[in-house]
Amino acid sequence: MTRLVDVPAQFDDRSFDQFAGALAQALTDGGRVLFDAHAAEWASPYGLVGLLAAGEVAGRGGREKPLLTVPTNAETLSYWGRAGWFREAAALFEIHGRYPRGAPRPESEVLLPVTAVRAAGDVHEVVSRIQERASAMLADLGLDPRATMGFAMALSEACQNIVEHAGTGGWVAVQRYHWRRRLARRVMVIAVADAGVGFRQSLEPTEARRYGDRWSDAMALEAAWIQGVSRFRDPGRGQGLKGIRTYVGRWDGKVSIRSGTARITGVPSWDDDVVLKDGLPPFPGSQVLIIIPEQGGPTA
Amino acid sequence: MIQHIDVHAMLQQSVPGLYADLVTRPTGRAVRERIEREIRAEGAGIALMDFSRVGCLDYSCADEIVAKLLRQEITVLLFRGLHDGHREAIEPVLARHGLAAVLERPDRTLDVLGPQETGEALLAALIEQRIAERTAGGAVALVPA
Repeated sequence: MTRLVDVPAQFDDRSFDQFAGALAQALTDGGRVLFDAHAAEWASPYGLVGLLAAGEVAGRGGREKPLLTVPTNAETLSYWGRAGWFREAAALFEIHGRYPRGAPRPESEVLLPVTAVRAAGDVHEVVSRIQERASAMLADLGLDPRATMGFAMALSEACQNIVEHAGTGGWVAVQRYHWRRRLARRVMVIAVADAGVGFRQSLEPTEARRYGDRWSDAMALEAAWIQGVSRFRDPGRGQGLKGIRTYVGRWDGKVSIRSGTARITGVPSWDDDVVLKDGLPPFPGSQVLIIIPEQGGPTA
Repeated sequence: MIQHIDVHAMLQQSVPGLYADLVTRPTGRAVRERIEREIRAEGAGIALMDFSRVGCLDYSCADEIVAKLLRQEITVLLFRGLHDGHREAIEPVLARHGLAAVLERPDRTLDVLGPQETGEALLAALIEQRIAERTAGGAVALVPA
């Protein structure tokens, strides 16, 4: 039997929880999963990489490769193609409907198309590719030119989380867009997602005993986020997240990490999100969102 | 004796691909191990690491290279060619480990990175070994080779 999972019309970090809930239910029910994206109108970088991670999850454990119906909106379809989404999706989904094939086209707002991250060499490629254009884009958002190097560092550390901890591959995408509905400013967004072991399982051997019954996805995220703990005993480990927070905080940006059933967020002045949210629908691995807003622009 | 290390050259020799960025732990580890071999061969306790041709340096790589060299192999670490982005990665690493290093500014005078007291002691040691000297303006600079 085929289980239907709707891809939200507006697919971003906010609608991801509803999507994750539907996927969890479909996996519990058993059978082949059909991701229905026909009504999708817009997807943020977070939505795009998250959907790939969902495809990986839905094809695990001896299940048939999941089905996916492409967006009917021509503009949406074209955008997903330009963002490089179909190039990665072809290996994960049995795709139904016509879609753009071939390499993603260079586009002014796509700094980095959806890109697979599996090994340290992929992180090198990603960092090398973005720097020149990132400098111009960030300057255009009113950030000091020196911010480019910090941006590359944050991107590198976020991608390394996959290589070092996920136990599987993942994806990254970087885009700039005008966030009219939420902020009325342009933003630069980094989204990184994997469907690997997640923070709780990664930290369990070294941390779970200290927390006893309280050990959970939320506790694991909090331990990594606030105390900088890592599964490695090396005292220099676990500082990448802190570095990301410091950089993003300097520009009043937002960083959030979802893992399992919890999400932790560095909340900027312009957002009303909560710092730690628990009890979310389960989704494996880690999903990182970094938003750098245009500096000095109008607020919503 | 000061050992001069071109970090970009070390990077090129350590990892496949012509990258200019020092990112990821495995890369940091490979570069550090190559530097360690060079240092052991020369037997110098002071290393001058030139970052001039290095692009991005991330926290993981800074920790893997700078912190571990200082903790295991090097008495004094001098930096040349650091830009603000490099410092953004190196300074938190030094702070976390309570380590200090010395920075050569573009005007060739020396400055301290990390805890001031430890850094000042490093400068004093360099002067005592006649590797550095006080300038007429009261700053400290390396003695020209």
